[in-house]
Amino acid sequence: MGKTFIIDDREIAFDGSKTVLQIARENDIYIPSLCYHPKLGPASKCRVCVVEVEGIRALQTACTLMPKEGMKVNTSSERVIDARRMVVNLLLANGNHNCLSCEVNGACELQEAAYRLGIEIPAFVVEEREERDESGVFIMRDPGKCIQCGRCIEGCNRLVVNEVLDFGYRGGHTKVICDGDLPMGQSSCVQCGECVQLCPVGALIEKKGMGKARTWETKKVRTTCPYCGVGCQLELHVKGDQIIRVTGVEDAQPNQGHLCVKGRFGYDFIYSKDRLTTPLIREKDGFREAGWDEALDLVAGKFKQIIKESGPDAIAGVSCARSINEDSYNMQKLFRGVIGTNNIDHCART
Amino acid sequence: MKKNYQERVENIIRKYPDARSAVLPVMQLIQKESGNNLSASGIDEAARTVGMSRSGIFGIATYYTMFNTRPVGAYHLQVDTCVPGFLHGADGIVKHLSEKLGIAVGETTKDGMFTLSTVQDLASCATGPVIQVNDRYFENMTVEKADKLIESLKKGKEPENDTSMNVVSECGILLNDRTKKDCRTIGFYKKNGGYRALKKALAMKPADIVNEVKEAGIRGRGGAGFPAGMKWSFLPQDDPRPVYLICNADEGEPGTFKDRQIMEFNPHLLIEGIAISAHAIQAAKSFIYIRGEFSWIADILETAIEEAKKDGCLSHTEIVVHRGGGSYVCGDETAQIESLEGKRGNPRVKPPFPANFGLYGCPTVVNNVETLSNVPYVITHGAEAYKKIGVTNNTGPKIFGVSGHVNRPGVYEYPLGTKLKVILDAAGGVKGKLKGVIVGGLSVPILTPAEANDLSLDYDSCQKAGTALGSGGIMVINDTVSIPELALRTIEFYQHESCGQCVPCREGSLVIMKKLKNLVDGRGTKEDIDLVLHLCANIRGLTLCPTGEAFSMPIQAMVAKYRPEFEALVK
Repeated sequence: MGKTFIIDDREIAFDGSKTVLQIARENDIYIPSLCYHPKLGPASKCRVCVVEVEGIRALQTACTLMPKEGMKVNTSSERVIDARRMVVNLLLANGNHNCLSCEVNGACELQEAAYRLGIEIPAFVVEEREERDESGVFIMRDPGKCIQCGRCIEGCNRLVVNEVLDFGYRGGHTKVICDGDLPMGQSSCVQCGECVQLCPVGALIEKKGMGKARTWETKKVRTTCPYCGVGCQLELHVKGDQIIRVTGVEDAQPNQGHLCVKGRFGYDFIYSKDRLTTPLIREKDGFREAGWDEALDLVAGKFKQIIKESGPDAIAGVSCARSINEDSYNMQKLFRGVIGTNNIDHCART
Repeated sequence: MKKNYQERVENIIRKYPDARSAVLPVMQLIQKESGNNLSASGIDEAARTVGMSRSGIFGIATYYTMFNTRPVGAYHLQVDTCVPGFLHGADGIVKHLSEKLGIAVGETTKDGMFTLSTVQDLASCATGPVIQVNDRYFENMTVEKADKLIESLKKGKEPENDTSMNVVSECGILLNDRTKKDCRTIGFYKKNGGYRALKKALAMKPADIVNEVKEAGIRGRGGAGFPAGMKWSFLPQDDPRPVYLICNADEGEPGTFKDRQIMEFNPHLLIEGIAISAHAIQAAKSFIYIRGEFSWIADILETAIEEAKKDGCLSHTEIVVHRGGGSYVCGDETAQIESLEGKRGNPRVKPPFPANFGLYGCPTVVNNVETLSNVPYVITHGAEAYKKIGVTNNTGPKIFGVSGHVNRPGVYEYPLGTKLKVILDAAGGVKGKLKGVIVGGLSVPILTPAEANDLSLDYDSCQKAGTALGSGGIMVINDTVSIPELALRTIEFYQHESCGQCVPCREGSLVIMKKLKNLVDGRGTKEDIDLVLHLCANIRGLTLCPTGEAFSMPIQAMVAKYRPEFEALVK
């Protein structure tokens, strides 16, 4: 064993690349945290991840604390629990932290911290916060549930670089703003939903799933986004046959949790009655349903006929932007090598 | 927008290594050119100019109090009602103005002439009550003077400001003779021996200057009392990055108004101190971060810098005066660095410390105005002579600002270690019966008359007495004052100034304020008193920056030491 330190009487090895919070999580030691997110790094703002370090007077935030050889960390002393309890109680004191009908009940990090700290009823209630902002097409903002952790802002500015969200005002009036404090629906927000995915509480919610299922009722189905060739990894949260919400898979390539507005919210087409389920062959004024063999034979036959009558350059192909690179490569191979023409293009070429 | 706007913007941007640092001055310029308002189009203009997002600019505009994102009248009357103002009767001025103008606080008269606001601490503690009108101060206000001010403003004229207060300099090192008309000029300064220390210092090796300052034991006069020479010696050696010196002139600790005495009347002393210190730490660029409300003092400094430049005193370092936007927390060194980089003034997580990773990620030293103003004396007379002023481990002169219930409020330059009694006597003695005294600015625990009786005003003695010397801003409180009301006034300040970044400060100050308000309004319970003490005990040491301590310690002391007064409010 190389360098080691102690968390709650357990000797744990470290290499200097990770914080105490990261190491604790890897070792199933519970330390609550609200502003830290692995993708965004430590912020040291919520102060709920504090731990006691032998020989250091003040409590230390585990999200910023680097272990040292022989360091002794206590994650559950009375002092630590008192401090955490006060912080969570302070967050609960302001706003509208009512779990009864909250969409993230069961997945809320504030609720989890309160549960672990045994806070049944908030110790002090002082004030209600602002009204909900329902102006966004897909996203509902509830400032009453916001804990000002700043994850959404970091995500908007640093990860997706849309630069719509920021902190406005100061002190107890601090709040997340869109542009010059406009309703989200009137701002430059493109509704990519990165902020929703990063929110640890119920302050940013997908409108489409509201009231449809509790978090524990949905089954998570991993799939690949069908919209374009990037191949973003999705998790569909499904209840029965219905998609309740879509999230990006945080630890998967290529998207690391990011999604665009289409991938995250544009899934209604799967329910469309107009969706094609078989090939259609045009006959007279309409279409008739056909099998794949019949349809492909027909297309191949027509291609051969055109080549015979007018030469291969009478045919052109346009590859679809939804297809992956490999499919587009095969498409051009088919046109150049089999059909014998260079008339091949891609709809996303601009 | 005026014609030469673009040229002026370019001149501003040119002062900074990074264009984003120009965001506050550019916003200030836009606001000034747009009738003292920063509208949505002004926000967009600023965003375009410095290449930031609209929300980023709006976030900055609403963080700093001096930007008017909501329209204000032609004259924005802001009355300082923070603790020193409160002690000097500011509430009466607010009430009178409200009645006279027929508007409540926060409202604008129908003709668009006047907006009435209250404001938290303008650093005019001995000359309170003070009204800030747009970017000018009117001090020593009375109801009669306020009437005259309004009548004069209605005619479009600004009357003279009455800055009179008691000024005593026992040491004669930091304060000069301000009664002389030319006291701010380089001619006056040099006639009295000025810039000889700089000449001597420039012939010295930087390391020798650092050692001399270390040996002299100058302790930081901003409040923390950390030895300046030691701070300098934390800078990394042989580092390829540029070194920056920032002079912290963001004087905003309630009860404190000492730095402005140096800057306004003896600006060349500070400039010489910066010039020597910049040589000592090899900083080619220095900034004076001055609170935005002191705009006329910033002008005085810029004039003095021009004089010094012309005189050839600043060939080794460039000094840029940077105006803040209205924020107490920006007096914290890492918040100040963030602010100077053109961001909201949120303190940084430490480590890394500024010596290693400060302004633009470069080695940086942040020193208070008074600290830097002590440097020329050390260089001229040597560390040994300097150490003869004051007491062991607490050396040199200190400017004490005395406000509140004394007969002659003002500034008093005495050696560190002087008895509080001596300073209070110099200030004409306590008006009425003493109830308590706060010796180091609002963020230190209050002392009862018994605790204060034999107190020596130095860092170590104050610590031993359970308080801190802090900035040396002494507020004297007589028995006409209700301590619960004083506590409420205190927490209102910190709640207003909290940057809002970390939970214990943002939410804790709010909850304490609500509980104290309930008590003062007669709606409180005994549990509220205990809850306030519980919160104070837990918030201390839990916040990202020292602001949590700055309110939890004084509030805790007020409640614990004067508890019967709080209990008497419970029905």
